[in-house]
Amino acid sequence: MTASIDGRRVEPRAGETILEAARRLDIEIPSLCSAPGLEPEGGCRLCLVEIEGEAEPRAACTEPLRPGARICTESPGLRDTRRSLLTLLMLEHGELPLQPDPGGCELERVMARLDVPGSPQPAPSRLDGTHPYLRFDPARCITCRRCVHACDEIQGRSVFSIEGPAHEPRLAFGAEHFGDSRCVACGACVDVCPTAALSDRDRLGVAAPQATMTSTCGYCGVGCQVEIGHTKGRVVSIGGKAGAAVNRGHLCAKGRYAHAYVHSPDRLTRPLLRRNGNLEPVSWETALDHVATRLDEIHQRFGPDALGALSSSRSTNEAAYLLQKLFRTRFGTNHVDCCARVCHASTALALRTATGAGAASACYDDIERAELIVVAGANPTEAHPILGARVARRVRQGARLLVIDPRRIELADVADLHLALQPDTNVPLFNALAALLIEAGAFDADYLESRCEGFDAFATFLRGESLQDAASLTGVGGEALRAAADLIADTGPSLFVHGLGLSELVQGTDSVLALCNLALLTGSIGRPGAGMLPLRGQNNVQGNADMGSTPTLLTGYQSLSDPEVQARVETVWGQAPPLTAGLTLPEMFDAAACGRLRALWIQGEDVAQSDANQSHILEALERLELLVVQELFLTETARRADVVFPAAGALEQDGTFTNGERRIQRVRAAVPAPGEARPDAEVIADVAERLGCRWEKRAPADVMDEIAQLAPALFGGVHYERLEGDGLQWPCPSRNHPGTPRLHTDGFARGPAGLHPLRFRASPEHGVASHPFTLITGRVLQHYNVGSMTRRTPSLGLAPYDTLEIHPEDADGEQVGDGDVLWIESRWGRIQARARLSDRIARGTLFLSFHHPETRTNALTGPQRDPLSQCPDYKVTAVRLERSAP
Amino acid sequence: MSTVSRQPEIVGDSAESPVTRVCVGTSCVLRGADRIREALRAHGPVETVHCLGFCDQSPAIANLSGEVHTRCVPGSLGHTLRRTSPAATASHVRALGTEPIVTRRIGAGDFASLSKAVRDGAYGALDAAVRRPAALVLEAVEASGERGRGGGDYSTGAKWRAAARAPHGPRVAIANGDEGDPGSFVDRLLLERDPHGVLEGLALCAYAIGAGEAIVFIRREYPRAIARMQRAIDDANEIGILGPAVCGSAFSLQVRVERGVGRYVCGEETALLNAVEGLRPEVRVRPPYPAERGLGGLPTVINNVETLVNVPWIVARGADAYAALGTAHSHGTKALCLSAAFEAPGVVEVPFGISLLDVIQDAGATVCDDSALFGVLLGGPMGSLLEVSECDVPVFYGAMAERGIRLGHGGLVALPPEVRLQRLLKSLLHFAHDESCGKCLPCRVGSRRALDLFGEMGIAAAAEIEGLLELMEGTSLCGFGRGIPGPLRTLLARLSNGQLRA
Repeated sequence: MTASIDGRRVEPRAGETILEAARRLDIEIPSLCSAPGLEPEGGCRLCLVEIEGEAEPRAACTEPLRPGARICTESPGLRDTRRSLLTLLMLEHGELPLQPDPGGCELERVMARLDVPGSPQPAPSRLDGTHPYLRFDPARCITCRRCVHACDEIQGRSVFSIEGPAHEPRLAFGAEHFGDSRCVACGACVDVCPTAALSDRDRLGVAAPQATMTSTCGYCGVGCQVEIGHTKGRVVSIGGKAGAAVNRGHLCAKGRYAHAYVHSPDRLTRPLLRRNGNLEPVSWETALDHVATRLDEIHQRFGPDALGALSSSRSTNEAAYLLQKLFRTRFGTNHVDCCARVCHASTALALRTATGAGAASACYDDIERAELIVVAGANPTEAHPILGARVARRVRQGARLLVIDPRRIELADVADLHLALQPDTNVPLFNALAALLIEAGAFDADYLESRCEGFDAFATFLRGESLQDAASLTGVGGEALRAAADLIADTGPSLFVHGLGLSELVQGTDSVLALCNLALLTGSIGRPGAGMLPLRGQNNVQGNADMGSTPTLLTGYQSLSDPEVQARVETVWGQAPPLTAGLTLPEMFDAAACGRLRALWIQGEDVAQSDANQSHILEALERLELLVVQELFLTETARRADVVFPAAGALEQDGTFTNGERRIQRVRAAVPAPGEARPDAEVIADVAERLGCRWEKRAPADVMDEIAQLAPALFGGVHYERLEGDGLQWPCPSRNHPGTPRLHTDGFARGPAGLHPLRFRASPEHGVASHPFTLITGRVLQHYNVGSMTRRTPSLGLAPYDTLEIHPEDADGEQVGDGDVLWIESRWGRIQARARLSDRIARGTLFLSFHHPETRTNALTGPQRDPLSQCPDYKVTAVRLERSAP
Repeated sequence: MSTVSRQPEIVGDSAESPVTRVCVGTSCVLRGADRIREALRAHGPVETVHCLGFCDQSPAIANLSGEVHTRCVPGSLGHTLRRTSPAATASHVRALGTEPIVTRRIGAGDFASLSKAVRDGAYGALDAAVRRPAALVLEAVEASGERGRGGGDYSTGAKWRAAARAPHGPRVAIANGDEGDPGSFVDRLLLERDPHGVLEGLALCAYAIGAGEAIVFIRREYPRAIARMQRAIDDANEIGILGPAVCGSAFSLQVRVERGVGRYVCGEETALLNAVEGLRPEVRVRPPYPAERGLGGLPTVINNVETLVNVPWIVARGADAYAALGTAHSHGTKALCLSAAFEAPGVVEVPFGISLLDVIQDAGATVCDDSALFGVLLGGPMGSLLEVSECDVPVFYGAMAERGIRLGHGGLVALPPEVRLQRLLKSLLHFAHDESCGKCLPCRVGSRRALDLFGEMGIAAAAEIEGLLELMEGTSLCGFGRGIPGPLRTLLARLSNGQLRA
C-alpha cells in the first residue's frame, strides 16, 4: 500500500525509515545526527514528523515508513519544535567558531533554514592539527555522533567514542592528539560532520573548488569513483562519489588525500634524452624522432625479438592496448607483458586453468551477500582499504570470516578464525581443508557432478596426504585445521578473497589452484555471495592484461593461433599478429641481461625498485641499447633510461581503467598535465606515426571502439557512451548486453572445471640454514607500490620509511630494539632497515615493505619464480639479521 | 524510631572510596533528607543517591561501611555513623482483595534459602515445564494476558513470542532488577527475599524463548540483593536446578548476575543492554527492539523482576486462574509500594481494578478532613502527581492511561498536608537532570536548563521551564525524557497558578 510524504506518493520498502524514503524523494528533513547509510542515532530529534493518526510527532530517522502512512514533514508546529530544539543546541554550545568554508556548514544551513540566529561572537577555535590529513576542532563539535557511526560502520575502525558526564559529552578518539589516534584517514567522518569540527587539512585555506570532475581513482585496483574538485587547473579536493557501485562514497587515505603528488615540483614536464651520459630536456619532436629511429634501427638490425614492451598498469586501457598493438604490428613481436606478471600472473593462470577465465568470478557486491568470507594471502584493510572495510562491515553484520595469512592482519582481529600459516605453505593447507571436507561429506555433490571433473582422482590423491604432515608443515595445527574445515562445511558456498600471498610464490599457480579446489568442492564459483575474488593491485592491472599485454594471448585473452582470431585481427589491424609466443617480463630481463633483447619500452612501471632480484634487473637495464620510459617522476628506472617521456597522471587524462571485478570505468581529465607532459596513448600513437603506422583511431573513445571490434566476446558492447555512471563489467559482448557481474553462473567457460591434485613443493628459500628468518615483502596502508606518488604527499609523514616488522621475541634474540637499524641479508643482497616490533608477525617471520627506493627491498628478493606463471617469489626470502653498528 | 539491626544493608562499592550517602529519593526528601544531609556534613564528605529503596522507612542513609540506616533523625546521626545505631528493618508486606501472588513469599518471610524456597514449592513449575514442550510455557504466558509490571504494560507473551520467532540461534533472557524509581522497592524485596522465585520465572522465560543464557541485572544501589541473588544462583546450580541440565532435563541455562552502573536510565531496557555490554549507559534507538536484536545482537527478552515472579504461578496454576484475577483487560495483581508517610507503609499487593483511593485509605491515610493527605506521587518521577480527589481511579494501566495517569512501577509516595511543593519540584528537577542519559538533545539540555532556571529564578521561571518540559515531553527519545515532565508540569501549573501552598 502506497504511503505519502508531504502529499507525494511513495512505495514503502522493507526496513526503510521515513527519513530514508524522504531522501529518495529529495524531501529534505532537517537532521543533525543521522546521515545516509548510517545507523540512526536518534539524538537531535530535529527530524520529527507528523504521522496522520498519531498524537505525537515521531522521529523520521527511526520510524519505519508503514504502508498507507501519511507523513507531513513541515508544519508550523514542527517548525516551532525544531527551532526550540536548535535553540537548545545553541544554548549548550554557546558560541561556535566560524566555519572555515565560506559556504557554511550543515549546521549553519539548518539554522538559516529555521531562522535561528547564530552566535554573534564566534568562540576561538581549539584546533588539533596533529594529523597530516584530518583536523579536529573540539570548539565546533556538537557531539552529534555522526563521526562515531561513520567510523564504526563504514571503516570499522572505531576511532571515536563519547566520553564525559551525560551533560558534558565530548568526542574522544583514544589519544590526546588526533595524530596519535588509530585513524586511518578514510575521511568518512569528515564527510558526515555537520559542523566541520572534523575537517580535511588538505583543503585548509583553499577556496571551495570551482568545478568537480567524476573519475576513477588512480590508486589500487578497487576502482573507486572519485569527485575531483579543481580550481584553475589545480586539484583542490577529492571526495568519494556518493552512490557509486564500487565505493558508495567512501574512500581511503590514498584516494582521498594523497593527491599532492599531482602538483609536485618533481613532476617530469619535458621529454628527456640521454646525451653524453646525462638526461637532458629536449623537444617532443626530438624525443619522438629519436625513439622512432632507434626502434626502427634495432628492429632492422636484430629482428623482432630484440624489442620488447611493458605496458603500464597505472595508465589507461587505451594506452596499454596501443603499446602492444605497436609492438605486435610494427615490429612483429609478442614480447609484450606487464606488471601483472609479477603480481597476479599465477592467479590468472590458475583461474584460467580451473574455470576457463583468468579473472575474478565474483564481484564486490558478493561481499555483502557472503555468509563466509575466506581471506587468504591478502591484507585488504591496508592494500585495498575500501574492500577491507566492506569485508569488515559484512562481518559485523553477521557473516563469518576465516583469515589465512602468516601475519595477524587487521581483519584477523574480527575473524572467527585466523590460520597463521608458515609462509608458502598454502598448498598443504588447502589440501588438508579439502581432505577434511571430503572426509566429512561436506561437499556439493550435485555441483561437482554437473559442473566439475576429476573429483575421484582428487579424493584418491587426498587420501594419501597426511593431515598430521599438513599440520606440521603449515604450523597451524590439526585442531585449527579442523575448525577451519568446520567453518567452511557449516556454510557451504563461500567467498574466497585472495591476494599476492598466494600468487607471488614459486608455487603460486598451485596455491590458487588449491584454493579453487575448495571453491569447487563447496560449489562456490558462479553462486551469489561466493566464488573467487582476487584483489588486483594497481588501478588498471586487470585492464592492462585484458588489453593483450601478455606474450601468449591477444587482446581479450584471445589465442594467438586461432585462425578465426587471426582473421579478425588482420581485418582490424591490417595485418595478422605474430604466431609465436613472446617473452614474459622476467624472461625479457633475462634476455636483456645476456644481450638478446636490445630495446625495451617501459610505460609507467618502476622495475628497478619493484621487481625481484634487483641486481639482475639493474644489470639487464644497463645492457639495453635503448630504454624508453614513460613516467610521472624520475624513478629508479627512469633514471636509467635513454629517453624519458613525461606522462600525464590519472587525474590528467581521458580513458578507462578496469578494476578487479572486471568493471570498465571512465577516467576523465580534471586538470591539465604539467608542462609538456602528455597522456601515454598519444605518445605511442605519435611514435607509431613516425614508424609509418597508419592508425586512424587515436582518441580514447575511438580506441575503445577498436578494442570492441577486436575482442567482441569480452568487449563487443563496450563503448564510451555506455560507460557513464558505474561502467560495464566484462564480458559484455553486444551493445544491449548489461555486462556480467558474476562469471560462470550457468557453467564454466572451459567446460567442466577441474579439481587439481597438487603436491607441495617448497620454495628453495625454505630451510636455508645460514639464513634462518623468512622475509615476506608487501605493502602498507599509507603508500602505493613504489611510493613515487604517495611519498610526494603528506602521507610520507605517516610512514616516512620502510620498516622491518619483527616479533618482539625474535628482536630480543637478535638484541634489536624498536626503531633500531639493522642489516638484513639474503643470499641475493644486503640492505639496512629500521626494526618495528610487532606481535602481529609470527616468530621466525619478518615483513618489509618496498615503498622507498633507498630501502632497496628487492635487493633481497631472489631469482626464484613460479615455473608456470613466471611470477617471482616475493613472499619468501631466506634472510639473516645483523645489528648495525650504532 | 529504630529497631534492632538484623540485616545490615551494604551499599556502595568497596573499590570506591567510602563516603556517606544520603538518599534523596522523593520520600526521603519529603521526610527531611535535606536536614540529614546538612547534619551529616559535620561528620565528613556526603554524597546523595537517588533512592536506596527504603521509601517505607524514610529518611535513609548509607554510612561509610555501606550499611543502610533508616528513619534517621538529625540529632542521632553520630550513633548511626558509628554503627552503634540500628540499621534498616524489614518492610511490611500484605495483600488487599486478592490472594498474594507476587508477594506470596516475601509476605511470609525470607525465602533466600534454597531449601526453604523449595519446601515452599519453588522450582516446581520449572521442573514440570522442562519435561514438556517449551511452546506450552509460551502459550500459557500468552493466554494469561500478563503485561509488563515495570511500567511498560506491554504483553509479556507477545515479547516472548517475538524473541522465540527470531531465526534459529542463541537468545538471552534478562531479569531487570534496576529498580530505580524513587518510591518503588518491591523488586529489591523480591531479589533479596525471594530470589528463587525470580530465578524460576527467568528460567521459564529462557526455556520458552530458547535462551541458554540468562542475566539478572541488579542496580548497584542494591548490593545486598546482588549478593543474595548470586548466592541463590550458586545454590541452584550446585544441585542442578540451573546449569547444564536444568532440573535434570536437556535444557541448559547459564545464569549470571550483572551489576548496574549507578544510572537510573539502565532500567530502560536498551540502556540496560548497553550497560551489560560495557558501553556508555544510554538508551538505544528502537527499532530494532531487543526481542529482535538485543544483547550482542541476539534476540533478547528483558522482563521486570515483578513480571517474572508471576510466571511460575501462571505456569503452575494455569492461565485461566491468572486471567480470573484483575480486570478483563489487565489480568493478575500489582504490588504497590507505600512510602513512609502512610500510616501503614510497605508493599501491598492488589488485584488490578481496585480503586487507588481504597488502597490509600487502607494504608491509613485520611482523605477528607483537614488532616487529609494532599495527594500522592504515583509511579515515581515519571509517573503522575495526583491530588487525593483525583485518586478514585482503578489501579489498571489502561484505565489510568485514558485519564493521562501513569501507574509506572506502582510506587506511591504520600504527599502529606504540609508538603512543600517547591521542594518537591526542585527534587524532581534534580532527578531529571542527574539521571538524563545525555543521548538526546531535548532531555540532555532541557533538563539542565530547567534546573538552572529554577536555581536562578525559582518559580518565577515557571513559564520558561514549562516550555522546556513541554519540548522534552514531546520530542525526547525515550520514556525518561517523555515521562519525567509529567509530574513536574502538574506541579508547575499548580504552583504558578498560586492555587496551592508553595
